[in-house]
Amino acid sequence: MAIVRGCNLPDDLYYLVEKHVWAKPMDGGVVRVGITAIAAKLSGGKLAALTVKAKNIGQEVLQGKSLATIESSKFVGPVPTPITGVVLRANEKLATDPNLATNDPYGEGWVAELKPSNWDTEKASLATGAAGVAAYQAKLEAENISCA
Amino acid sequence: MADDKVMIIMTSGPDTPHRCATPFFFASLAIAMENEVTMFFTIDGTLLLKKGVAETVFPKDGGKPVSGFLQDAMDAGVEFLACTASMELHDLKPEDLIDGVKLVGGATMWQVAEECKTVLTF
Repeated sequence: MAIVRGCNLPDDLYYLVEKHVWAKPMDGGVVRVGITAIAAKLSGGKLAALTVKAKNIGQEVLQGKSLATIESSKFVGPVPTPITGVVLRANEKLATDPNLATNDPYGEGWVAELKPSNWDTEKASLATGAAGVAAYQAKLEAENISCA
Repeated sequence: MADDKVMIIMTSGPDTPHRCATPFFFASLAIAMENEVTMFFTIDGTLLLKKGVAETVFPKDGGKPVSGFLQDAMDAGVEFLACTASMELHDLKPEDLIDGVKLVGGATMWQVAEECKTVLTF
């Protein structure tokens, strides 16, 4: 786990840095996705809701399109999917406790699980490992974002 | 999957400040859900589009002014349409309004409504 400008960034995740979301391949060909600590910080930290679009369940969503919406007193906006895939399920715990996503963004606060359509090609477009963390760090520095 | 079109008709204005944040919030949320969103301002809603007014309307004491919610919606890509008849109602001229608002007749409201999956009125 790297800590960059006070933000936790596990180096084993695949990041769509521009959109502050991550993807993690799980067993059985499923990919879990969620928001990063940076997204949690930018939202103001206390969410009123994080809602996966019900219409998306069972449907393919293209990389970059909205998977869910995030609402706080400071911010309302989309959670884009880092990969193209069919949405298998949403994290139901977020319905009652949306702040799982801000308090434990890489663990209990995951947003959805997808069956990826093009994982092998798309993972090349995501940032991962030490290089990924460095790319994210560059963005945080350029935009003067920190989680401290 | 094609994006859905939705419209929010905004009739509330400075006389009912607590009613003036939620419609913009819903508009921003609809954009985040990949909808194409139009806000159609008429009756008192048009007053919020007058230069300098939205900054002075506070839905909650000590909170964000309506101008903040309005700008968030505009920045997110919500289309702002204002009804010409309501301009007359309030003796407004086009140059009195903030940038980014298109003036249209009432018939446009019906045409947009016909294309929309959902229409809300506040």
